[in-house]
Amino acid sequence: MDVRKLTKLSLLTSIALVIFVIELRLPNIVPIPGVKLGLANIVTVYALYNYGVRDTAMICVVRIFLGSLFSGNLMAMLFGFGGSLLCILGMSLLKRAVTDKYLWLLSIFGAVFHNIGQIAVACAVMQTFAVIGYLPFLIVTGCIAGLFTGICAQLLILRMKKR
Amino acid sequence: MKKTVFLITACAVVFLASAVISVVMLNAPSGDIVKIKSDGELLYTIDLSKSPNKTIVVEYNGKKNTLEIKNHKIRVLEADCPDKVCVNAGWLDSTAIPIICLPNKLIIEYENNDADAAAR
Repeated sequence: MDVRKLTKLSLLTSIALVIFVIELRLPNIVPIPGVKLGLANIVTVYALYNYGVRDTAMICVVRIFLGSLFSGNLMAMLFGFGGSLLCILGMSLLKRAVTDKYLWLLSIFGAVFHNIGQIAVACAVMQTFAVIGYLPFLIVTGCIAGLFTGICAQLLILRMKKR
Repeated sequence: MKKTVFLITACAVVFLASAVISVVMLNAPSGDIVKIKSDGELLYTIDLSKSPNKTIVVEYNGKKNTLEIKNHKIRVLEADCPDKVCVNAGWLDSTAIPIICLPNKLIIEYENNDADAAAR
């Protein structure tokens, strides 16, 4: 990996981390564990569009690791890993099918995959399938959050392309 | 273009299906028998319709959750976890949605839980 790329990836990681830390300060409006806007996903979609799956996974892993250290919530790290890895995998599979104008779709599917990953980890941690009951709520809120971050990511990607 | 239409449809179907399931689950009737589990282990089985008003303290690795039973309903009154999701969840009123405290690995649910029955 050349220095130029390494620098770009680390810059993206730190941007994602800053967004993540700022988002921690926002109050949670929905009293369901795991529901949040996921603004750092903008960076994930951007990275996936411009770089490969492996680079994006690296950005996400470092962000989640440092992010959960900063927030002091190590449980969040497990859920973050499970969700993000499934999210990146799903989005990379769908990437080719989505045209530039419909990038927001990618983000919505990413959010849904993220929720499925989170619940899978929760099932493993809690050793019960009862938590699956949260999945429909997570998907409904995830679709809305995914649409928002997707529109942001699409605006960003198309503007960066013009330059 | 065909792919895009397909993806948008898939997206709408997933969203609407989840929304419908959510509404159905929110309206699921409540039961009487409540199970309290910590770290996958069944601690208490309580019949809410017969239980008097009381509080129960559940400890896990030195962390405490205080549960309150009042007027045949149950909720988490206090928790020393950072996020307080279980406290904010309020009274347990649907068979489909358990109260969960992830940091303390605590689950409070009605016995006739469909998701749990499927797992058995």
